[in-house]
Amino acid sequence: MTERRTVLIRYDEIGLKGRNRKFFEKCLLRNIKRVLSSGTDDIVYRSPRGRIFLDIPSSFAPECTVRLKSVPGIASFSIGISMEPDFDAMAELGIQWIEPRLKSGRDAMKFCVKTRRSAKSFPKTSPEVNFEVGSRIMTKLSPRGLTVNIKEAEYVLEIEIGSSETVVFDNREPGLRGLPVGSSGNVLCLLSGGIDSPVSAFMMACRGCRVHFVFFDNQPFLGRGGYDKVLILAKKINHFQTRGTLFVVPFQDVQAAIRDHCNEENRVVLYRRMMYRIAAEIADRQGSLALVTGESLGQVASQTLENLAAVSCVTSVSVFRPLIGMNKESIISRAKEIGTYETSIEPQPDCCSVFMPKNPATRSKIPFLERDEEKIPWKELCDDALAKVEIIKVDDL
Amino acid sequence: MVYLDNAATTPMDAEVVERVHESMRDIFANSGTRYRIGLDAKRLIEKSTELIAEYLGIPSTHRIVFTSGGTESNNLFIKGLCFPDKKTAFLGLEHPSITESLAFLQQFGNEPFSLLPFQTEGRLDLNSVSTLKEKRVKLLCLSHVNNELGTVNEPLQIISALANESPQTKLFLDGVQAVGKLKLDRDMWRGLAGYSISGHKIHGPKGIGLLIYDSKLVLNPQMHGGKQQFGVRSGTLPVPLIVGLETAIKHAVMQTEQTQKHLQDLCRHLVQGLKNMQERLPELRIRFNSLVDEDVTRQSPGMVNFSFPPVEGEVILHHLEAKDIFVGLGSACSAQSREPSKILMGIGLSEEQARCSLRISFSHNNTTDEIDRFLEAFAEAYRALYSTFLQKADHR
Repeated sequence: MTERRTVLIRYDEIGLKGRNRKFFEKCLLRNIKRVLSSGTDDIVYRSPRGRIFLDIPSSFAPECTVRLKSVPGIASFSIGISMEPDFDAMAELGIQWIEPRLKSGRDAMKFCVKTRRSAKSFPKTSPEVNFEVGSRIMTKLSPRGLTVNIKEAEYVLEIEIGSSETVVFDNREPGLRGLPVGSSGNVLCLLSGGIDSPVSAFMMACRGCRVHFVFFDNQPFLGRGGYDKVLILAKKINHFQTRGTLFVVPFQDVQAAIRDHCNEENRVVLYRRMMYRIAAEIADRQGSLALVTGESLGQVASQTLENLAAVSCVTSVSVFRPLIGMNKESIISRAKEIGTYETSIEPQPDCCSVFMPKNPATRSKIPFLERDEEKIPWKELCDDALAKVEIIKVDDL
Repeated sequence: MVYLDNAATTPMDAEVVERVHESMRDIFANSGTRYRIGLDAKRLIEKSTELIAEYLGIPSTHRIVFTSGGTESNNLFIKGLCFPDKKTAFLGLEHPSITESLAFLQQFGNEPFSLLPFQTEGRLDLNSVSTLKEKRVKLLCLSHVNNELGTVNEPLQIISALANESPQTKLFLDGVQAVGKLKLDRDMWRGLAGYSISGHKIHGPKGIGLLIYDSKLVLNPQMHGGKQQFGVRSGTLPVPLIVGLETAIKHAVMQTEQTQKHLQDLCRHLVQGLKNMQERLPELRIRFNSLVDEDVTRQSPGMVNFSFPPVEGEVILHHLEAKDIFVGLGSACSAQSREPSKILMGIGLSEEQARCSLRISFSHNNTTDEIDRFLEAFAEAYRALYSTFLQKADHR
């Protein structure tokens, strides 16, 4: 048995990128190298057209599987063995893999062989390869109950014949899909300690963005628990991308001014307008081209169409809301998949109850909000908060 | 730093740290082995057990079992004795390790009898004891000292009431908040079926506690394994923690009288300070939830719990934290819950009064200067936050 394995990595959307394709492929390869290099340095990387191949020690295969599942841009991957396109050798390998899985009895297992032949110079067609390898396996294993069934195969032996190499494998692991991080530029996500915003940050990472984070801190009205929770969430999202930055904005003075001087029912929208202004300024200084939020239409009072419009209009920076059409259950199940849910539901409030209005306005009128803002020195408050921002490199956490 | 949350946990005494460290370094062998170094470890545990019995006056009729702390002791005794169908009673103001153990039994149809209607000032009204006989209660579970209020259920009074009114009812006390603050009367053991103690509440290590129980009782183990400790609590014994616990108990017991006096001084200073503050700040209305009473048969001197609506306790707590002053909101073990304290609601406080409260708990390390720093910071925070919370209350 060889001590090496070949990982065959497929990507989908990059394949559509025309002349930019090389750039996207480079991004993906760089991200894969980054994720795997801390596991072992014994990896050979190859990237023929349309695929990335890795040659890894077999002992690294389980760890490699886990790591590749955190790389946006990978559609799926398989771990198999590279070999010469020799039918006897391929059938021999298939027999080695199938034999231990056979149940006893007449109907021990249904199987099929599937070939993909990108090297058109290869003398046999894909169905012919399927037949050559499949019949050899059947000769040996049909007496033990192996049957061929293409539609309902319980076991699929796959063969990929490329111009430079042939890989035989029997597994396909789904990847995160999307685009490789770094291929779409920087965005700044307004991260709270809740369930939604980490999911929206993750979704933007899967569209090729490097996501940076901004957190509006409520200390000393609340304890450090919320801050600590956001550090963990930022770290969890950063796992999919690296090199994210977290900006912590002391927000209590802004909130106190709004609470003390503005109409109570407008508070939440006014807080969010201030958050957007501060976040837009940070994005501008730091080179992010858009803001990202976890808002979902109608989920809470501040997320009605009117209130979203009243908030968005304070900045000319694009605001992305990847969750806007999702329901809460779908968001929760996504949060569970990416591992942020357990942290998000820790009981740390993200806003002190004293700042919350009893009946928040659901249809705020922009002129009324502007009139409220005239009552407070909002520009100075923003500048003051910006001057006190704490900047944290998430990789260092 | 001013640390005023000693009911949540306490810093370890220097001698405890030293003895734990020494034992970790030198005595590593398994006390269940038969060779010399294992026997040395066993001997050290036996010696510590003897000393603990001596310090606490535990008679030979009672067993001492080392556990991981108060929560395990309470679980082991209640479930070990009462599962599946021995009838239990409680006041409803106990620590979750008692109330949740009883809730566990309830799943099997063994519903505990609540004496909450008979509580006065957070303590059991002795007139209610006769109802236990009617309800055929086999075990009464109470806190010796309530963990949020500091109010005391006096063991000898309850034991005598039970002997007269409901002799078939045994008494179990959670003593976690009592040791070192109250003098334990040696006579109490005669009437006690079980008693729990935790190391970290008395300047000892975390992860170690005691269950002391009447050896005539059969406890079903909750953990199965090598049958250590009479088969009641399996697991290799942690020699360093046991040695640390013994040292902590020694200090706590030897200095109880002195500590009590010191805590009473602190308590008096705090209560007077709050009363004076009330005169200075007309908007401040304090309600003392614990008893302002120096009778240690009614109130532990280590704790003051008070409400100050409309300002929320948690917000004050974080403002004090910003000044390096640490106080308690209630039971640390239920601090994850956003619900107002069940104990405060249980003694009749409104939800607002319960939310707008703090628990100050002292240790022998605290000084009156620290209380002054707390009072100053509390007044400042209260003044700063009052108008905001008043607005909030007005909108309700």
